[in-house]
Amino acid sequence: MGSASPSAMVRLERVSKSFGSLPVLRDIDVEVKTGEVVVLIGASGSGKTTLLRCINCLEHIDRGRIYVDGVPMGVHDESGSFRPDPERLLNHKRAQIGMVFQRFNLFAHMTALQNVTLAPMMVKKLTRGQAERLGTELLGKVGLADKLHAYPSKLSGGQQQRVAIARALAMNPKLMLFDEPTSSLDPELVGEVLETMKRLADEGMTMIVVTHVMGFAREVADRICFLHEGSILEEGPPKQIFTAPRQERTRAFLSKVL
Amino acid sequence: MSYSFRFNVVTDNLGFLLAGARATILVTIAALLIGMVIGLVVGMARLSKRPYVAGPATAYIEVFRNTPALVQLIWVYYCLPILTGLNMNALISCTIALAVNGSAYLAEIFRGGIQSIDRGQVEAARTLGMSHLQTMRKVVLPQAFRRMIPPFVNESVALLKFSSLVSVLGVADLTYQAQVLSTTTFRPIEIFTFIAIVYFGLCTLLSYSARRLERRLAVSD
Repeated sequence: MGSASPSAMVRLERVSKSFGSLPVLRDIDVEVKTGEVVVLIGASGSGKTTLLRCINCLEHIDRGRIYVDGVPMGVHDESGSFRPDPERLLNHKRAQIGMVFQRFNLFAHMTALQNVTLAPMMVKKLTRGQAERLGTELLGKVGLADKLHAYPSKLSGGQQQRVAIARALAMNPKLMLFDEPTSSLDPELVGEVLETMKRLADEGMTMIVVTHVMGFAREVADRICFLHEGSILEEGPPKQIFTAPRQERTRAFLSKVL
Repeated sequence: MSYSFRFNVVTDNLGFLLAGARATILVTIAALLIGMVIGLVVGMARLSKRPYVAGPATAYIEVFRNTPALVQLIWVYYCLPILTGLNMNALISCTIALAVNGSAYLAEIFRGGIQSIDRGQVEAARTLGMSHLQTMRKVVLPQAFRRMIPPFVNESVALLKFSSLVSVLGVADLTYQAQVLSTTTFRPIEIFTFIAIVYFGLCTLLSYSARRLERRLAVSD
């Protein structure tokens, strides 16, 4: 078992990953406390998205260890040595981590409500009635009470992304991962999604967010990590990162995006 | 043109010919159903990352797509019983041969349909904790199925037409009945014109119902 401090929801220990001969993550060490909102920033190709995808094993890490709530991801302890997780165990671990994608990835053949109720019924074995009550409540919470039976193709990007957030929340996750949740939205729709995320943060959800919206990072993040070429070059509270970055590269990046 | 058509040869023997049509339809449906099951399994096997699963599936598809259907039919009917000792009547041999032939094409249709589904759909399902099988069943296949309807109809029509080959082995399908009737009545022009119309009608009906199904499933577009 990991020796993560009791309040650490996520802990990465010397995590490395390469795509072929291209290193994308180099010896990443980072901890996210329960209830904390951490925003990952950095140029494209710096490894932000890969880092996020490694946490729920959408990508496999080459070295190091990732713990979520004290449980190692992708591997389990078998009499002293780590073995790869069998599918069932991995599914169980993934079910506790919500993920929101840049391109929403709503199930195109299902209504908003069906999108939200599918996993609770399949994975948590809720009855249809229970799942629909939960789904209705969550879609109401993200402001889509009137869109329960709309198909994704009939929803705006912002509405689709809010359905995706409700879908992730329906599994009652301990941790939410956001992979550039507003990057494929029209500018006027960004606000409604960020507002939903902000509310989630206010409720105490542990969140790791990859975003290019610096305003959101400044307002909502407890901590910002700046990634450069697969390493966390600098981290700190938003105020410090935005007003007094210590690293030259952080300064150069921020001068370009702010 | 001095030929005088006498279509009463058709109307007088309508029952005889329609019995053949029934056999044609039954063989085609049976071959399609069996072919779909085999095709789904082979198609998914071909998508496997494991070479010892994907390899044989690819070989299966290539063998049955690159040999003539008539040769397959005769092979299953004459050679398979000798090799295996199984005794099958012509109807069963033919259905199996058509099913196997169709399954090779259907496997490619399934594979194409599954591959056309955006990877993000799978990732979304897996991050919610759904298993590979649940993801296939609830997310990928229902969407892939819709995209597969047009090529699936093409294959069904092809199989329906291929089924006329079973007459060579003495299965009393529409073509066989027409041949029998022609040799006794000496009216092949009327008879073969008629069965061409029947084949045409059946194929058109198939395409038409598929288009309706497609429209009905299009509610989420």
